[in-house]
Amino acid sequence: MVDDDLEELTLIEEALLDAGQTVHYEENGIEALNYLETCEQLPSLIVLDLNMPKLNGTETLMQLKSNDRYKNIIVVIYSTSVNAMEKEKCMNLGAHSYIAKPLSYADTLSTAKYFSELCALKEM
Amino acid sequence: MLEIARVTLQNEMDLILANRRAMCLAELAGLSIGAQTTFATAVSEISRNSIEKGKNGCLLLGVADIKKKDKFIVAEIKDETSSVPSMEGLEYAKKLAHKFSISNTGSETSVELQFFIPSSHKLTHAQVDTWKGHFKNEPPISPYEEIKRKNEQLQVVASKLLESESQYKTLTNSLPIIIFSLNINGDVIYANDWFTSFTRVSLEDLNLSKWKNIVHNDDYAEFSILFNEKIVSDASVIKTQCRLRNAESGEYLWHLVSLSPVKDERDNILYWIGFLVDINAQKLVEKTLNDNRNLEEAQTQLKKKEQGLQADINELNRSNTELSQFAFVASHDLQEPLRKIILYSDYLLNKYIDKVDKKGKTYLKNMIDASHRMRNLIEDILSFSEVNNKKLDLKPIDLNEVAKECLQDMEVLILEKRARISIKELPVIEADMALIRQLFINVISNALKYSKDKTPAKVSISSKKCGNGEVAIYFKDNGIGFEEKYLDKIFTLFQRLHGNQSYKGTGLGLAICKKIVQLHNGKIEAKSELDKGATFIVTIPTKYKAIS
Repeated sequence: MVDDDLEELTLIEEALLDAGQTVHYEENGIEALNYLETCEQLPSLIVLDLNMPKLNGTETLMQLKSNDRYKNIIVVIYSTSVNAMEKEKCMNLGAHSYIAKPLSYADTLSTAKYFSELCALKEM
Repeated sequence: MLEIARVTLQNEMDLILANRRAMCLAELAGLSIGAQTTFATAVSEISRNSIEKGKNGCLLLGVADIKKKDKFIVAEIKDETSSVPSMEGLEYAKKLAHKFSISNTGSETSVELQFFIPSSHKLTHAQVDTWKGHFKNEPPISPYEEIKRKNEQLQVVASKLLESESQYKTLTNSLPIIIFSLNINGDVIYANDWFTSFTRVSLEDLNLSKWKNIVHNDDYAEFSILFNEKIVSDASVIKTQCRLRNAESGEYLWHLVSLSPVKDERDNILYWIGFLVDINAQKLVEKTLNDNRNLEEAQTQLKKKEQGLQADINELNRSNTELSQFAFVASHDLQEPLRKIILYSDYLLNKYIDKVDKKGKTYLKNMIDASHRMRNLIEDILSFSEVNNKKLDLKPIDLNEVAKECLQDMEVLILEKRARISIKELPVIEADMALIRQLFINVISNALKYSKDKTPAKVSISSKKCGNGEVAIYFKDNGIGFEEKYLDKIFTLFQRLHGNQSYKGTGLGLAICKKIVQLHNGKIEAKSELDKGATFIVTIPTKYKAIS
């Protein structure tokens, strides 16, 4: 999960752990790319916030998709509000999906479930 | 004949004079004494005849054409009798003269006598002039002659005067200006032909009406000053302008009026002479130039306005930019914490439900409700920057419900302000629910924000049907009010009447209201007096009507 707000991780981590997933956290795009370079095994899913300092979501997405090693990793854009124009832009850049951050406890659970399913999809 | 002297023939005294002069001429011409007497006698005979029977007789003495070889002295007696009278004197004179002729033109009879000048001395024009001088300078032979001479001189002067007067009259009549003279009472005593042909008014009527019948009503007051002797008597020339009625066209044409006094040697005014010149064309040009100037001025004004307008546009663009910046901040910096509030409340309500009592649950629910409404509001503000493209979600909405919901949202503020808000029966209208709710919240919170410090705020919401399918909704408060001259400002984006320190605000609230009402093809107005509260009036169609 790449997000400048650590709270976002705490909010969803429990549900993801419950679903049997391991979560690695980075607070911006540069850190995320640095981390990926050190990874022997790439993550099944990258959850990307849009508003981040240094390297924002769309810029990170572009670099991921233009890198042969990373381009097949599923990327989900995870944003506070759903903006139609931004969504279209991200989808064109190769994002798997664009979802709004949860507004309720139930939302959080279903989002965690969704992420977990995407990871399973990759493993299959 | 070259005239040398003349004598008018009126009475016996003139007869003596005629005789004397004839004698004198004959003597100058060098005739013998006998011949002198004969000539004088012949002249006397005919002169007597004229004095007795003729009318306005006159004796002319002179010489016949001096270029001819034979030279003669001539006496011609003219008078205004129509027929040649037969008389003794005439016959007698005929016999005495060397040449005699008599002619009659019907209105004038002329008798001419010629006497031969025997001496061969040369008769020149200079000689004739000398003789003329002799008669002129010869001392009068009697008091009568002296008087008569003076009289004759006067007659000459008078006839010259008459001639010159007639010349002037001809001149003034041929000038394309009106020339007139006034006596000291201001009555016109003379005006030239141009006056008559221009005005077709008789001098009598003109004097009776005191010029009112030809001078334009609007100019009369100024014009009549000319006749105020006290004002004008000191001036040398007085000028003014007025419109005179042209009889032919009925039009009033501009004239320059000039009046000068004619004074005697003691500076007493004898009479006035004046003229009126047509300056209508000049006035027209002047007016056109003036109009042009006005036009230019209007153009400059227009340009200034245009610049003002451009400034307004720039200002609008600036505030639009500011608004979109604000929208950006709202979307990213406000939405995020708000989402957290909602989310944590929901976590509490779900994961920690056992640890919260019934009251706590209600509070949490209220908190979530309020947060959601706030979220909607933020989204609406976001959409304000795109408000022109906003598609209205039109539904019949019960304004009573809307008002109640709003009061719930504003509970904290209402408690804080110790406000009493009354809602009188409101209608159902077809409108966009979210926008109308925002409208109500904005107007009510505006009323509460500007309440008086020490008085509990009171807001009453009521409505009235307007009859044309519109309904007016009144929001009346008892707050600090505002001066109505700021009416336009309060609805303008980011315009605020108060500094941020006394009253906090973004300057968006009423601007959003205006936009919302406009979107519903309604209007928002306000009435207020400083310190006496304000009433905001929203007039809106009950059924949405699209305006093409």
